[in-house]
Amino acid sequence: MGFKLDYLFSILPSLMNAALVNIRLAAIIMLLSVVLGTAFTIVRSLKITAVNMIIAVIISFVRGTPLLIQIFIVYYVLPAIGLDLSPEVAGVSAIVFNSMVFVSESMRGGLATIETGQIEAATALGLPPRAIWLKVVLPQLFRRIVPVLINEATIVVKGTALLSVITVVDVLRTAQQIASANYRPFETMIGSALVFLVINLVISLSGRMTEARFATARI
Amino acid sequence: MHFDPTVLADYWPLLLQGAWLTIQVSVAAMAIGYAAGIVVALIALMPGWPLRLVTASYVETLRNIPFIILLFVVYYGLPFAGIRLPATLVGTVALALFASAYYAEIVRAAILALPRGQFESARAIGMSPASAMWHVVAPQILRALVPPSTNMTLTMMKESAVLSSITVPELTYQSLVVQGNTFAPFEVFAAVASIYWLIASVIAEASRRLERRVGTAQAESVSRNPIAERYLSLVARRAS
Repeated sequence: MGFKLDYLFSILPSLMNAALVNIRLAAIIMLLSVVLGTAFTIVRSLKITAVNMIIAVIISFVRGTPLLIQIFIVYYVLPAIGLDLSPEVAGVSAIVFNSMVFVSESMRGGLATIETGQIEAATALGLPPRAIWLKVVLPQLFRRIVPVLINEATIVVKGTALLSVITVVDVLRTAQQIASANYRPFETMIGSALVFLVINLVISLSGRMTEARFATARI
Repeated sequence: MHFDPTVLADYWPLLLQGAWLTIQVSVAAMAIGYAAGIVVALIALMPGWPLRLVTASYVETLRNIPFIILLFVVYYGLPFAGIRLPATLVGTVALALFASAYYAEIVRAAILALPRGQFESARAIGMSPASAMWHVVAPQILRALVPPSTNMTLTMMKESAVLSSITVPELTYQSLVVQGNTFAPFEVFAAVASIYWLIASVIAEASRRLERRVGTAQAESVSRNPIAERYLSLVARRAS
C-alpha cells in the first residue's frame, strides 16, 4: 500500500481543529508559568535558608524526573488525597509546575547579567524593594529572557501532546481515533507531526521577530 | 490516605527490570544518536547551501515535533516501509533519531566555536598533525562539547519514559503495570520518580566529573556587591 496523500489532506482539517486544544492549553500554561516562575524567582531571591533548601530539592526533582511521570503524579496521586481534577486541569498543573521551574532557572541566569550599578542607583535613590523589582529588575529581565521564553513555549506545545496519555482529546488522541477508524496510522501521524511542526515554526519565527524588536529597544 | 511502601514488596523486581531497560535503551540511543549527530554536523559544515538546507530541515523538523509524535511516526512508519522490529528496538531507534538532531547542533556549535587557525598554528610551531589534533584541537572541542552533551543525554533519558506508550517495558511502563495491580499510585510513583531521580543524579555527577577533567570553566559566582546581590542573586552568600 502506498502513501495516500489525498487521505492526509482529508484529515488535516480535523487535526488542525484538535490543535486548537493544544494551543489553548499551551497559552494558559505559558501565562501561568511566567507569572508563577517570576514569583518563584522573587521568593528565591529572599534567600531564606530553609525555603531555598526546599526549593533546591523541588528544582532537582523537576529536572531529574520525566515530565510524563510528573503528569502521572498529578493525575493519579492527587485524586487519592481527595483532589479530583479533570484530565485537562491535572495536565496543565503538571506542565505549569515543570515549566515554572525552568522559567525561574533561566531568570537566575538573566539576573546575573543585569548591571549591579542599576541596583545601587535604585537603592541610593531610596526606591522601595517593590519598585526596584517592578521598575528596575523585571523589565530588563523579561527583555533578556525573551529567547528562552520562546524556546520554552515550543517545549510547552510539545509537552501538551503528552496529555493525550491522560485522555485529553488533543491532536495526538484525535489522530489515534482517526487512525483506528481508517487503518492508515502512518499518514495520520505524519499529519499530526506536520501540525506541530507548523505551530512551533510559527512560534519560533514570531519569536525571532519579537527578539529583533526588543534588541533595538535595548539600546 | 497513608503511605505504605510494603504494597510494593512484590513489585520491586519489575520496577528494577524497567529501570535497567531504561538505562540500556538510553545508552544505546545515545551511542547511535551521537554517531548520527556527528555525521549530520559534519555534513552541515560542508560548503554549499543545498547540504545545509537538508541538514537544517532535518534538525528543525526533529526538534519541533513532540517526541511522542515522532515515536508514533517511526512506530507506524517502519512497518509501512516493510520493516518489522520489536517495540523496544523501534523505541530505541526513535529516541536515537530524536537525540541525533540535538547532538548535531551541539557538535556543530562546538566546531564553529573553535578559533580559526588553531590547527595551522600548532603545525607552524612544529607539532605533527596527529599531535596538533590531539593536544590542541581536541581538548578545545571537548570542552565545548561536554556540558551540553551530558545535558542532552539527561533530557533523552527522561524522554525515554514516552516509550511506555508503544509498550516498551521500561520503567514508566512497569510503573503503570504496578499501579494497575496495586492501586497505590502514591507509593508507585514515589518509587518510580525516585529511581529516575537517582539515574539523573548519576548522569549529573558523571557530567560534573567529566567537566572537571576537560576543564570546562565553572564561573558560577561572579563577584558582586551585597546591595545588588539582594536582587540579582538567588544564592545566599557564604560567610567568608
